[in-house]
Amino acid sequence: MDPATLPSSKTRKPNSSHIIAHLVLAGVGLILFYPLIFMILSGFFTKDEFTTTVLGFFPIPRHATLDNYLILFQGSSDTSTQTYFLNSLYRTLYSTFFAMLTSFLAGYAFARLKFKGKDALFLTLLATQMIPGTIALIPTYLQLARWPFAGGNDVFTGGTGLLDTWWVYLLGGPAINIMGMFLVKQSLEKVPFELDEAAKMDGAGTLRVIFQILLPLQMPIMAFIAITTALGTWNDFATPFFYTTSDHMQTLPSAITRLSSAAVGPGGSPNYPMIITLGLGTTVPALLIFFLFQKYIVQGLANTGIKG
Amino acid sequence: MERAVPFKQTKLKRFLVKRRDGLIAAAILGPMIFWWLVVSGFPTLFGFILGFFEWIGIQGHPKFIGLGNYARFFEDPQYYSALWRSVWMGALVSGVTLLAGFGAALLMNMPLFGKGIYRSIWYIPAVTSTVATTQIFNILLDPTNGVINNFLKSIGRDPVIWQFSVGWSVFWIVMYSVWKGVGGAALIWLAGLQSVDESLYEAAEIDGAGRRQKLRYVTIPGLKPIATYIVITSLIGAIQIYEQVMFITGGGPYGKTEVLVFRIYRDAFWDFNLGMAGASSLIMAVIVFTATVLYYRRSTKADRSNTIPLKKGA
Repeated sequence: MDPATLPSSKTRKPNSSHIIAHLVLAGVGLILFYPLIFMILSGFFTKDEFTTTVLGFFPIPRHATLDNYLILFQGSSDTSTQTYFLNSLYRTLYSTFFAMLTSFLAGYAFARLKFKGKDALFLTLLATQMIPGTIALIPTYLQLARWPFAGGNDVFTGGTGLLDTWWVYLLGGPAINIMGMFLVKQSLEKVPFELDEAAKMDGAGTLRVIFQILLPLQMPIMAFIAITTALGTWNDFATPFFYTTSDHMQTLPSAITRLSSAAVGPGGSPNYPMIITLGLGTTVPALLIFFLFQKYIVQGLANTGIKG
Repeated sequence: MERAVPFKQTKLKRFLVKRRDGLIAAAILGPMIFWWLVVSGFPTLFGFILGFFEWIGIQGHPKFIGLGNYARFFEDPQYYSALWRSVWMGALVSGVTLLAGFGAALLMNMPLFGKGIYRSIWYIPAVTSTVATTQIFNILLDPTNGVINNFLKSIGRDPVIWQFSVGWSVFWIVMYSVWKGVGGAALIWLAGLQSVDESLYEAAEIDGAGRRQKLRYVTIPGLKPIATYIVITSLIGAIQIYEQVMFITGGGPYGKTEVLVFRIYRDAFWDFNLGMAGASSLIMAVIVFTATVLYYRRSTKADRSNTIPLKKGA
């Protein structure tokens, strides 16, 4: 399914149209990449120099510094960058692990097992994907706030419930991952059933078939699920921003949100150097994940985009 | 008693063997679906009900007011114009993104040297965090020390206060969304282009078709299934954008770029008008749901269980 290995529709020799295509793709590509170049360059400024420099398209600092990168790992006196970074990291690892586990097991159940009401259940789950997530936003807030007996609640009220605790990040994990389940089911159905039976003849148990025979064959799909979940969680600002308040609960994106003009209001001036530091901390790992695993992303997108 | 145990075991064993698949499925799916109902199903149902109550402030007491919130939605210009803005801004974002993506996909489909690199570079904005990259746009667009205004000043033009102009605010929201979405659109179009049957091109060539005719009579009809998919998903995503609005214009100037989903967030988390936020969410949900059902209707010919589930949100 790798688009690169498929024959392309035109097989002419290089000509002037190729040169134009190169120019357009490279030129627009550079413009698309430009905001990130700007961000990386600004990352070498000290705070004072950044605010006093008249910014050009490619700002070069007179006194380049690596402080912005160092405080991401070491923290600094005025912000808890290290905490934000670690919160983002733990949250991402947790969500990714559970997304892979639930997608694979649920996909296996729907692809390989025969049980009553299977198709109806599958279609019902798919149909719920049509409901936009916005609608659950406030109810989720209320649910967390009114979680029975948690955070000082007498049954439903009195305390803050699970708001502003790690449960905000942990609760969703064990729930079924419907998009992932769908992709695994599609992919497993292409694996012949005889493979399972042959393995069972050789004395392999069900668990062994699932994890040692079928799972290794699903690696590209699992990688796609893992990467998209990891990037989605890593970049998610809304969950921490809406459901937590303490500084030690924030992740990199939500910490940026709290510094942004949306939070400072029209009168205030955002602390751009700090925003850039945190922005680098958010963006660079995402870019690294992308460059390391881009093959799976491109493949997976093609799979989700084309039926069957 | 000692003899009863092995007998019981065989009975149990028979039951286990007969219902083996069902039991394994229940063990796998039961807990996952139960937990999903708790953290996703229940809040969604609750959200549908919320819109029928007047509920201001988390500590306030909900009061049943029937369709009162919905009546307000269609009477108060703040709401229906926010909905209208979501629709036309969403259409603009998705139209520009898909057209630019299609053009890029046509170019990327040519046998170019290093086309893999182009695919990566174009897709990169999609993996970045919206919060972080909108902030970069804000630095570029800063009225006093913004990069673009500094450039305008250096060539002797007057700087523009983008944030005071509705037109420019919409322009930059659309530009940001296209910046972020064009690579993904190009990749999906590209997958579509490569799924068009190669022999059709050869047949067209034999019939003497030129490049433009091949595009018109082979490529575009061949892309129809994927076009339906990408247009619907893109529209559904674009109608719900709010992050770029929140971070680039904050809905300004004077609420003229406020889209419905951003209004819902403001109602819920700034003003704590939970009933109104619930009602607006339900209206948004109905619109998105209708669009999705129309899409599924169009794809009934294909096996339904093979139809792609649409992603939530963008």
